[in-house]
Amino acid sequence: MSAKLGGTTSLPGAGPPRAAAVRSSPRLIPVGGGKGGVGKTFLVTNLATCLARMGYRVVAVDGDLEGANLHTCVGIQQPRVSLADYVAHREEDIAKLLLDTPIRNLRIIAATRGNLATPQPGHGRRVQLMRDLQRLDADIVLLDLGAGTHPAVMDYFMVGEEGIVVIAPEPTSVENAYSFIRAAFYRRLRLAMASHDVRRVITMAMDERNERGIRTPLDLMKEIQALDSAEGRRFVDTMRAFRPRLLINEVRSADDVKLGFSIRSVCRRYFGIEAEYLGYVNHDDRVRRSVRDRRPLVDLDPSCDAAVYIGRMARKLAARTQAPPSDRGGARR
Amino acid sequence: MKSLSEQNHYEILEVPRASDAAEIKRAYQLSMATYADEALAGYSIFEDGDAEMIRERVETAYRVLSDDDTRRAYDESLQAWWSDESGAISTVAPSAGEVEVPEARSLQQPVETLEDLGDVDEEEGEFDGARLRRTRVRLGIEIDDVGRATKVNPVYLRFIEEERFEDLPARVYVRGFVTAYASCLGLDSRRAVESYMRRFDSSGPEPQRRFSKGG
Repeated sequence: MSAKLGGTTSLPGAGPPRAAAVRSSPRLIPVGGGKGGVGKTFLVTNLATCLARMGYRVVAVDGDLEGANLHTCVGIQQPRVSLADYVAHREEDIAKLLLDTPIRNLRIIAATRGNLATPQPGHGRRVQLMRDLQRLDADIVLLDLGAGTHPAVMDYFMVGEEGIVVIAPEPTSVENAYSFIRAAFYRRLRLAMASHDVRRVITMAMDERNERGIRTPLDLMKEIQALDSAEGRRFVDTMRAFRPRLLINEVRSADDVKLGFSIRSVCRRYFGIEAEYLGYVNHDDRVRRSVRDRRPLVDLDPSCDAAVYIGRMARKLAARTQAPPSDRGGARR
Repeated sequence: MKSLSEQNHYEILEVPRASDAAEIKRAYQLSMATYADEALAGYSIFEDGDAEMIRERVETAYRVLSDDDTRRAYDESLQAWWSDESGAISTVAPSAGEVEVPEARSLQQPVETLEDLGDVDEEEGEFDGARLRRTRVRLGIEIDDVGRATKVNPVYLRFIEEERFEDLPARVYVRGFVTAYASCLGLDSRRAVESYMRRFDSSGPEPQRRFSKGG
């Protein structure tokens, strides 16, 4: 595995994480998916709540500067500070953006609200943000990403090699999910490659209608291996390290459940990417009610199927979190 | 990473070598569904002829692996090939050195993770209707399939899942239905039925239900 991409929490291109203090940095889990309205915010809210209940100190970050509403889902009306303040350099200390929620162990960083003039942060500020998030005093940081494949979104998605891709079982969402995975992968690759020529080939391949007929990472890999064998090896390493996790939301039938396996197969076959099928959540009218009531579903109706499925995924995520919840007094319920 | 033409039959079906016949069949069905021409998972990715080519390879792989004799012969030929080529089963595996042939499972997630999706803590607790439904959905089985396998009217199966006890027939039938349903899902049917009937009994006002609980 290439040293550059070795750490699961270092942003490629951001340089090595500074020698941290004794405290280990939190685990960053970005949640994206390309399409809006597939339930990212709902899932982040509920996964975060479950993890907090398990005793982890969780921070949910609303990374969607244009459609921010994570705070609403946890019952906060008007966030007094938000990421927008950080982006605009009004607040430099990220810890000051943390807002308490009614849920013990769960804090959030809201995005802005109702400010259309808020610009997306530039690349440098984004890198800074990711570094700062890694210094938060927390066990797990969930990052709710906006829709689309804007470079900002892709940068956030790359903070972890195991980001979650949320997909609804409908053509538009599936299509966007592939674009999202493809974009994330190519961006990661470009940052991992050293040679200027190789990077140029990758940039060209990012355009799906490129003249060299490079359609998939597999084509690209052959092209790069022919160009430069050391870079070819780095390419394969990067490919192996990238393991997006698929989450199918709003499942209504057994076929919808199988969709996750199918997408995983297509990712492997067409992209050479080993995606992991994290799980699924069924369609449930109570989801809408929980959003309306501004309370996480796992809180409102913990025994309903959707809540049970989410709890299961939270345990799966937790199982891989290195630092188990410490026996700090009162952290557990 | 290998192109389609370089993959062996197991890699094509995305199953570990130790898979049994049921796993192979399930993997085959999943592949055929995934690479159907208009399949949701792939139509936006496939180009002309792609899906058809993959389906052909999947069909061939399944033909060989679903028959004990042809599979054995194929395994032997793979074995011979492996002892020639120092190791690597598949480039998805971590590195050639780590791979022990032939029993090693490649890093590829085997198809059986269909179960893995929902394992956590479903070992204990009550077998209520929701749990039966969850188990069914996780296995990718529609309620009508259960109906066909158990010969129980799907309407009743649905009532069992929804715990509409008042709409279900007499206790003795329900007991039979739940037993059939649970074993069809591969659950411990005795445990499941006991647990489910406790819920059934405690819900009903009819004296004979409480009576038949028997202490």
